[in-house]
Amino acid sequence: MNDAPPPSVSRVPFSSVVGRLELELRDLWAPPAPGEPLRSRACTMNLVVVTSSLAVAERYTPVVDEVTQAIPCRAIVVTMTPSSTETSLDGEVSAVCGVDNMACSERVSIHASGAACPRVASVVDTLMVPELPTTLVWLARLHMGDPVFLELAADSQRVVLDTDYTSLSSLLALSKWAREGRSTVAVADLAWTRIAVWQDMCARFFDDEAMQPLAQGVESLRIVQMSDTGARLGAEAALLLGWLASRLGWRLEPLGGSLRFRRADGKAVSVDLGATPPHARVAPLAIASVSMRASAGGITAAGTVTRDFDGDVADVLRYKLDVNLPCSGEQTIRLGPNTGARVLERTLHRPMHDEALAAAVAFAEKLDDDGATCT
Amino acid sequence: MNPLRQGQLDDRVMDACAVVIFGASGDLTRRKLMPALYNVAASRVLPGNFAVVGVARRDKSDDAFRAEMAEGVAKFSRRKVDPTLWDDFARSVSYVCGDFGAQPTYDHLRSHLEKIDAERGTRGNRLFYLAVPPAEFGPILSGLREAKLVAEGVRPWTRVVIEKPFGHDLPSARELNDTVAGVFRESQVFRIDHYLGKETVQNLLVVRFANSMFEPLWNREHVDHVQITVAEEIGVEGRGKFYEQTGVTKDIVENHLMQLLCLTVMEPPISLSADAVRDEKVKALRSLRPMERRVVGESVVRGQYGRGFVRADEVCAYREEPDVAKDSTVETYVAMKVYVDNWRWGGVPFYVRAGKRMARRVTEIAVQFKSVPHPLFQSPDGGITPNVLAARIQPDEGIAVRFTSKEPGQHTILRDVAMDFRYGTAFGSNTPEAYERLLLDAIRGEATLFTRRDEVEEQWAYMDHVFDAWHAAGNIPPPAYAAGSWGPDAADDLLAKDGRRWRKP
Repeated sequence: MNDAPPPSVSRVPFSSVVGRLELELRDLWAPPAPGEPLRSRACTMNLVVVTSSLAVAERYTPVVDEVTQAIPCRAIVVTMTPSSTETSLDGEVSAVCGVDNMACSERVSIHASGAACPRVASVVDTLMVPELPTTLVWLARLHMGDPVFLELAADSQRVVLDTDYTSLSSLLALSKWAREGRSTVAVADLAWTRIAVWQDMCARFFDDEAMQPLAQGVESLRIVQMSDTGARLGAEAALLLGWLASRLGWRLEPLGGSLRFRRADGKAVSVDLGATPPHARVAPLAIASVSMRASAGGITAAGTVTRDFDGDVADVLRYKLDVNLPCSGEQTIRLGPNTGARVLERTLHRPMHDEALAAAVAFAEKLDDDGATCT
Repeated sequence: MNPLRQGQLDDRVMDACAVVIFGASGDLTRRKLMPALYNVAASRVLPGNFAVVGVARRDKSDDAFRAEMAEGVAKFSRRKVDPTLWDDFARSVSYVCGDFGAQPTYDHLRSHLEKIDAERGTRGNRLFYLAVPPAEFGPILSGLREAKLVAEGVRPWTRVVIEKPFGHDLPSARELNDTVAGVFRESQVFRIDHYLGKETVQNLLVVRFANSMFEPLWNREHVDHVQITVAEEIGVEGRGKFYEQTGVTKDIVENHLMQLLCLTVMEPPISLSADAVRDEKVKALRSLRPMERRVVGESVVRGQYGRGFVRADEVCAYREEPDVAKDSTVETYVAMKVYVDNWRWGGVPFYVRAGKRMARRVTEIAVQFKSVPHPLFQSPDGGITPNVLAARIQPDEGIAVRFTSKEPGQHTILRDVAMDFRYGTAFGSNTPEAYERLLLDAIRGEATLFTRRDEVEEQWAYMDHVFDAWHAAGNIPPPAYAAGSWGPDAADDLLAKDGRRWRKP
């Protein structure tokens, strides 16, 4: 039993800041002065973005503004610097309007430092639009015991991580936390959204009816990521491998200090994780290529999906299926604008609960424990 | 089942196939079909093993056809053409020249498709799209049958998409359906009504059956009346000859408007399967109170546009349009009072109207609820306005609910306010075109958004009463209304005698 008295109540009056922000939000939508254009507010959700540095917040604010033009919402962008010796809480409010200036979203920026950081959840809670769904985008290191995270997550329907900012282990920890039923919150990851096209292309190998038996006959898989040789397996590659393995019913088997992949029929799958030097126009640790070889019923197929580095933005994929069947062929696919805004927007449009992500993460967890690297 | 598709956003696998468009030189192909196919290809929804074959009379090379289509897609596609993707897509496009009435056309088409099967892996699956007038259906269908281009099995599959008009009355609709049925089973036939591909039309079912707050009110106990409006600003746009044979009732009311009515009044289907939904729509059509000849005079109003101003431009009268008779009796406006005789809707009037050269382009379904039973609040403005739920199909697709609120202040002053949900604002404006959704559904064999034979025939059976009555009355000229107005005065009278008035949407 702990008999220590509770810490004394802090008397620092931050409520005036919250009150000012509320007033400013209201004033945004006051009738315009004569001659000024009329602006309408649109709001379909609360989008709470938490960052751990001003630099990340500044980099991500244009992303949020772009997203809010497609999905009108009240965006609350929080910067927390708890290690600061100074205790302060401040914020500002602005309207973010589309090119036609007709429907506008709201953006509230909050900066908390030092002892003000634990109060962030209370501030956000006050400023959220009631009755609307809330998504929390957490762009800071994630510790599952963090009270600010837990309070914000409790008020949210979905928590989005970006393993570019956090790490695969953050996603694993969050998924485990959600899996253990401490919250009904759905988990999403921007890296998972980024690999959706790769998933679609891999699935395309087995779309043809004659190819479907080969899905159970994969003999080898090679995933190449954009990194130096010996780098740790990145989130995209780990999630793609986890997804393929979980969908195809593979299991991991330890042997001699390393992990081996086994198909449902017990046969081994040769998994090769490769690295190709980082490219200026592609994010580090992004997937560069996937190739697969499979055979069943006397048919052998080889499929590859390769990123083409020739263009300006390196967002073209070349799909090729080489098999002695009519479905053999090639195709060119454009990844499309893979900007932060588009990826977040696509993530927000995805179904809340994603069973495939949960299964992929469970698999990737084992790879992460094993410290898989790319050669 | 492909295990890698399980749990994906869209887990339905698209079969490899060839889409064969008859009427490939026409406007529909250039403006709608090819841009739709390009957009679904660019969205990675089409299978890799896919081909488009255009068939038309004009002699041209594959490259010339591709160039024509490239120009059409560049002009009409909702997204900018990506040269890398276009090159890939264009490789799947080819052209067959031939007379639709000549059997060699189909023999040639057959060998062309077999070659495509071998080269592109389309596996003998064919979607024939008849972008041609109905008079061409017969020769094309028999040509396909004679050339053994119609597979009856599940694999490979053959499907046919046909465009309206599906006949011009019940006997002709039956004849057309019989012609189609002579070659294809009903499950292979996809009658397209592009209205059903619109997001808001699909959303009607979602609003009604995925929300618990609307359905309890969706009946005669709470609904005073319903107004369905399909108004266009444009005139006949060079289609005078066509319009002289059809009129707005056959062009819009018999198909689009009846479908909107069905979706508004139908009972919840037992599932979202094509037949479950269409069964309920057919039941709804069968519940319409037949328009007896004596009723048509009091329940249906016709109109024909005269000169007037639309968006500040002076426009000519219908009778001044090219290819229109100077004494034409064809209606360019129609308003009807319709009753649905079933347990849910007994006694609730449905006022439907469609017109050309109206004040605004708008399609909407407005459900007006009954007034409050007792006027508790003093309202100097003439009473409390009833609540309205308006589903806007186009433009600015969305749903608005009108209700009454108190104005802030010392006095209880009531004001109408609206909760307004707009698709473009909430979900972005780059939503797929109706044809994209419908083409994909046809390729997938998903027929929910297509009209079944019995639906078409029930629609004509109902509307034929109206045409018969007009015919019996000697096709008297419809009253004129000024272009840019909301129709003839008689249309206002239709509601006024019931103590109601049209909305100004």
